[in-house]
Amino acid sequence: MSSAASSRRRTAGTLAALALVAGAATACSSSSAAKSSSSSAASGTYTVWDPYPQFDNGSAWVKLLTKCGTDAGVTVKVTAYDTTDLTSKALLAAQQGNAPDVLIVDNPVVSTLADAGVLTDTGTTKIDTSAAEPNLLAAGQLNGKTYGVPIGANTLALYYNKTILQAAGVDPASIKDWDSLNAALAKVKAAGKKGITFSAIGTEEGSFQFLPWFWGAKADLTKLDSPQAVDALSLWTTWLKNGYAPNSVINDTQTTSWQEFAAGDTAFSENGTWQLANANKAGFPFGIIPIPAKDGGTAPAPTGGEFVTVPVQSDTGRYATSEKLVACLTNADNAFTTDTTLSYVAAADAVQTKQVAADAELGTWVQAVHAAKGRTSDNLGTKYPKISEQMWTAVQAALSGSANPAGALGTAQKSVSSAG
Amino acid sequence: MVRSTSTRFARPSSSQWAAWAFLTPVTAYLALFYAYPLYKNIDLSLRNYTVGSFVHGGATFAGFGNYTKVFHDPTFSPALLHTIVFTVASLVFQFTIGLALAVFFHQHFRLSATLRALFLVPWLLPLIVSASTWAWMLNSDSGVVNYGLHLLGVAPVDWLTSPHWSLVSVVIANIWIGIPFNLVLLYSGLQSIPEALYEAAAIDGATPWQQFRRITFPMLRPVSAITLLLGWVYTLKVFDIIWIMTKGGPVDSSTTFATWSYRLGFGNLLPKFGPGAAVGNLLVVLALILGLVYIRTQRRAQGA
Amino acid sequence: MPAQGTVRTARTVRTAPAARIGQVGKRSRSRNRTRGKTVIGVLLTAVMLFPVYWMINESLTRDQDMRKSPPSWFPLHGTLAGYSAVLHDQLPYLGTSLIVGLATVALTLVVSAPAGYSLAKLRPRGGAALSFVLLVAQMIPGIIMAMGFYAILLNTHLINTLPGLVVADSTLAVPFGVLVFTAFMSGIPEELMQAARTDGAGPLRTFWSIVLPVSRNALVTVSLFTFLWAWSDFIFASTLDSGGGRQPITLGIYHYIGNNNQQWNAVMATAVVASVPATVLLVLAQRYVAAGMTTGAVKD
Repeated sequence: MSSAASSRRRTAGTLAALALVAGAATACSSSSAAKSSSSSAASGTYTVWDPYPQFDNGSAWVKLLTKCGTDAGVTVKVTAYDTTDLTSKALLAAQQGNAPDVLIVDNPVVSTLADAGVLTDTGTTKIDTSAAEPNLLAAGQLNGKTYGVPIGANTLALYYNKTILQAAGVDPASIKDWDSLNAALAKVKAAGKKGITFSAIGTEEGSFQFLPWFWGAKADLTKLDSPQAVDALSLWTTWLKNGYAPNSVINDTQTTSWQEFAAGDTAFSENGTWQLANANKAGFPFGIIPIPAKDGGTAPAPTGGEFVTVPVQSDTGRYATSEKLVACLTNADNAFTTDTTLSYVAAADAVQTKQVAADAELGTWVQAVHAAKGRTSDNLGTKYPKISEQMWTAVQAALSGSANPAGALGTAQKSVSSAG
Repeated sequence: MVRSTSTRFARPSSSQWAAWAFLTPVTAYLALFYAYPLYKNIDLSLRNYTVGSFVHGGATFAGFGNYTKVFHDPTFSPALLHTIVFTVASLVFQFTIGLALAVFFHQHFRLSATLRALFLVPWLLPLIVSASTWAWMLNSDSGVVNYGLHLLGVAPVDWLTSPHWSLVSVVIANIWIGIPFNLVLLYSGLQSIPEALYEAAAIDGATPWQQFRRITFPMLRPVSAITLLLGWVYTLKVFDIIWIMTKGGPVDSSTTFATWSYRLGFGNLLPKFGPGAAVGNLLVVLALILGLVYIRTQRRAQGA
Repeated sequence: MPAQGTVRTARTVRTAPAARIGQVGKRSRSRNRTRGKTVIGVLLTAVMLFPVYWMINESLTRDQDMRKSPPSWFPLHGTLAGYSAVLHDQLPYLGTSLIVGLATVALTLVVSAPAGYSLAKLRPRGGAALSFVLLVAQMIPGIIMAMGFYAILLNTHLINTLPGLVVADSTLAVPFGVLVFTAFMSGIPEELMQAARTDGAGPLRTFWSIVLPVSRNALVTVSLFTFLWAWSDFIFASTLDSGGGRQPITLGIYHYIGNNNQQWNAVMATAVVASVPATVLLVLAQRYVAAGMTTGAVKD
């Protein structure tokens, strides 16, 4: 028994020592773990939720929010969430009366949150939305009311690897429609390289990436089984069949499809504004062309980017300060800094000009954003999520060979119609 | 010989008090922390919840409407089939491999303790990391598994992107993750088997395989029962691995009830809490089936 | 010849002829056998840990080489960017995870060990029903538990605190703990319990001085699983502690999973660095279990 007792003592000792070490490690650095601000005269704490976990408390973003807080006379507490999680967290918090004061959220979910009664409209909070471009603001509008203001926008275009295209004898300026794109891909394959990567994963990212081709074929989201839609999906299935696109696109996110492009063997990558910083680090010369529409011209691409919204609070007196925070965050100077950090295009025309002046590469992107469309625009609102889910399912079915494009889209449209 | 039964009848009330005194912490614990979520889960499945009524309350009572919707959904049959296949295949392999490893490591050779501890490393890793690593390894074009197959002259397999292979891939990853659990439990069980039995058997000339079949396996029965039962319950709930590796796709080819429930309630832009909770409750029912079998076997064993 | 079901048996068969040579070779034969088993053990462990090796490989890979085809077995153009990010950012999260893990173990043992003792040895009326409830309790999906806890912790002002997270994490292990303790304590011989009773010990004394020391295996097993589950928990941490001042490592990882861009080598590096203290704990714990066995715990 004594051996058991002494070994018990030993274990207790080890555990206590471990706990001490852990406590010391945490205590010494607890200040850096929290994403909150220390400020002078704080008259209340305002909570801000954002989908940017990559920004910790030392980052420019959090410093900006803190400064906006002190300018408005309050302490700001910032919490970051994974963007796919944020909707459910916001709904749960609203249910329990714990909604944040300012909520920054991806634009296609704004309609859902507004429909749930979680968000205030800009009429109530008196937020000024006049500077934002109408096509960007449309994503946050439901039944004639606006529920937030965009923090910036991003969209999709085709990055290309200059070295590969030169070697294959393709002139990027000649790619104006689908036929010329297919011809270019064939030439690249003949030269022994891979053609194009994109993301066709079974989530909103997949729909996001499919939409430029869908809209470029002049298809409409209210009719998923139109012949134009079938054309768009057939484009992708043909690419897979001919080996122009790798099989892994079925499971790729936009990040992993970018990594395939960055490996240096692929000619084209459909990706977004936010990859510009990575593109400059890629180690090969790159260029950008807008995504071509089927019969020529630029295909309308979907708008990405988050909206700054103000959730409903039981104490309506808080809206005044929340409005100040939102205005501070989206004013011209701050928007310029934020959008440069996020690698987004600004929502206001004046700031866009400033961005292009600072970095000429952004010129193509600004044009693309002007031509872009919100996914929940055309008053699709809360119908969009159902359509989007069926659309990405159809894409997955066709690309994985379980169904042909017409059949897959037919099933999709039927599911949307029956779901009401 | 004095057995515990006579003690039980001798002083019923005070020993019952003592027994329930020891059970008070766990009973209070269950009442405080499980009652509300369980109630919430059932409530979610019996009402028509929209996002609006989720936030503000006032959802209409739907009776079994959500369950009917779920039964008639085309995803139901594939999901049920995949759930059973996924769980049974995982359990069979996890248990067998875990048992074999436990028996192997029970021989106390050099480094056996350290190696046994290293086998638990898969459990230390956050699921997002292990699932992502498996997804990387099984990538159709840049994955090391296909590269290895290529070196052996075998054609590459679309592990995660083909409807035929997606379920196999997630099963393999799940088996890998589940082996440590089985290994530790079965190893602990092995340790309670007295050495004397093995020594006596060896003297009688029993081969190692006979020792395993006649001594080890029967004496491990209680621990095996618990391991399989818990394995069943935990594997039914598995969703992280599948979700990160294939999102249940393509085209529902690796969708189980767990991933379907998540997808309905949280995995898309417009949550459908009612059907999601209904599928979750169906999972509980599936788990209960084996649970009831276990309880009955326990009761029979205690009565013997 | 009986069917060879285990590798161990094959090994024995191979060295069997040596035994016939005579007692002189006995010591070297057993040394050979143990060395052979060690080699097999190392090989098996290597196969099992190959994905972990791959994870380490990825943690040292540059972003642009992540999807190189064919993949490189070894990070030739490696980068330590992931590790420098981790060492710069993640140490506080590691400390928090350690505290949460150990506290969860303590709470779980305190709640489940007495319950296991009671169900195994004291035959309470309604014990079977309680076991059934414990079983059902484990079947509730994690996300539903998280949503329930959100409401509970919010109303008790424990949201975004470590004690709240510890309580939530313990629900991962308490039912399991009770079941395991019940199973192991049922195996304690009646003679021991009788001896204690004849000595005049009440249930509490018996529990503390006899049952607990003898249940060392069960204690370590339950502690092990509880720690591992609390360490790798994400769903409770994300729902209940996202706004907290101290966050566990599973949330810390999400710093590298931005909304548009993800830094996978940093994610993998975090996992590698996080595994080190936990692996050390594991090795120590396993040693302890092995030592407990050779001193004949049950036959005390």
